[in-house]
Amino acid sequence: MSSFFDIGYVFEAIPKLLSYLHITIEILVLSIFFGLILGIIIAVPRLYKIPILKQIATLYISFIRGTPILIQLFLIFYGLPFIVGMVGIDITRMDAFIFVVITYTLSNAAAFAEIFRAAIQSVDYGQAEAAQSIGMTSWQTFSRIVFPQALRVAFPNIASTSISSLKDTSLAFSIGVMDMMGRGDTLITATMNALEVYVALAIIYYVIVLLLEYGYKFIERYLNRYLVKEAI
Amino acid sequence: MIKLENIHKSFGKMDVLKGIDLEVNKGDIISILGPSGSGKTTLLRCINFLEKANEGTITIDNLSLNVKTAAKKDIIALRKKTAMVFQSYNLFQHKTVLQNITEGLLVVQKKPVKEAKEIALELLKKVGLEHKADAYPSELSGGQQQRVGIARALALNPEVILFDEPTSALDPELVGEVLDVIRKIAKSGITMIIVTHEMNFAREVSSRIVFMDGGVVLEEAEPQIIFNTPKHERTKQFLKRLTPELTFDI
Repeated sequence: MSSFFDIGYVFEAIPKLLSYLHITIEILVLSIFFGLILGIIIAVPRLYKIPILKQIATLYISFIRGTPILIQLFLIFYGLPFIVGMVGIDITRMDAFIFVVITYTLSNAAAFAEIFRAAIQSVDYGQAEAAQSIGMTSWQTFSRIVFPQALRVAFPNIASTSISSLKDTSLAFSIGVMDMMGRGDTLITATMNALEVYVALAIIYYVIVLLLEYGYKFIERYLNRYLVKEAI
Repeated sequence: MIKLENIHKSFGKMDVLKGIDLEVNKGDIISILGPSGSGKTTLLRCINFLEKANEGTITIDNLSLNVKTAAKKDIIALRKKTAMVFQSYNLFQHKTVLQNITEGLLVVQKKPVKEAKEIALELLKKVGLEHKADAYPSELSGGQQQRVGIARALALNPEVILFDEPTSALDPELVGEVLDVIRKIAKSGITMIIVTHEMNFAREVSSRIVFMDGGVVLEEAEPQIIFNTPKHERTKQFLKRLTPELTFDI
């Protein structure tokens, strides 16, 4: 074991780790994309107070919020093949990457569902009435009047959930996905430079988060364009 | 051309409208007066189905809907014949003043963009806000927002405009500018039904006054009759309290 901190190795490790960045980004983008779609679907029963489905959605959200993502990852990784196996489909050989995307999608969906519900409820109902009063259909009212304003309210929370989610992807290697974290693990085993590798990983994650935050700020500014300037 | 027959509406156990009949002719300007809780606003909102009445028939032009059996598409067809001006303006906050007015023209009436813009700009001129076309509602005063609300209603060229207490949410010094705009369009011959607490305004612009109390229409007559020789005790008390200068005895 090396007794000195080798700063040179940090810079040596960064490009090696970055060559697996695309896996991290793929997990993130896919799980946010599918999470948003599933999140909207889960938000609907609670918004429209649909019996039974509403309770299921509430239970789902509460379970996801109340359990660590690492445990969810193992539950899906070991549990899903078991459940699907009962109906005769064998997914035990499915790529671990897909289990990771499923887990993060399910987890993000719960967070997004709550964000959407609160955001949609925050839009003044009077505007929806105004839209209906001029003969707009329910769908036109939702898509043209309610949703764009709900998106503004939801966006900062969606952004912060996606940043948490990015950091959570570092757990994917625990079921054997070779992402940046997984690559880091192999580098540590090979070189024993544990601290250097973790410093390198910290730098990479931090820079990605800063870039995301910078990008989100621009989107937020656009979404807030119609608010009185002083109020922002 | 507008006919309400036997409109009943209750919220839970509370009967808010107990069988309202009302006929409005083309070009009429009807003011609905009455104490709070008399059902004025509910009646207005039943006309365009923002509130679904429990019983009754609503007819506008050739479209006659039984409220119990009205289908979604009939309701939308009826709403296309009406427009509403709301107490709290209800402008689309994420759209500019111009877009607020063109929204219905583009989405509901499917007019081309150029024509919609022309109509909107012309109406903004009418309400004195052409210089605010690109502003967002949050940048306007209450009075200005309500004038945009009126322009938005006018844009659709409806058979009737429903005004739901259009000045009640305004600071007193802004009431005048909104009433001036309503006066102006009242002269253009468009049919209007106005729920208001502005007695002098109602007296001046209305062709007919409907006085409601406790979910029924107590009396209905030309303004000079209602304000000078009201029949019902309730009407007398109400008008006297709000306009002490009236001369009749209770």
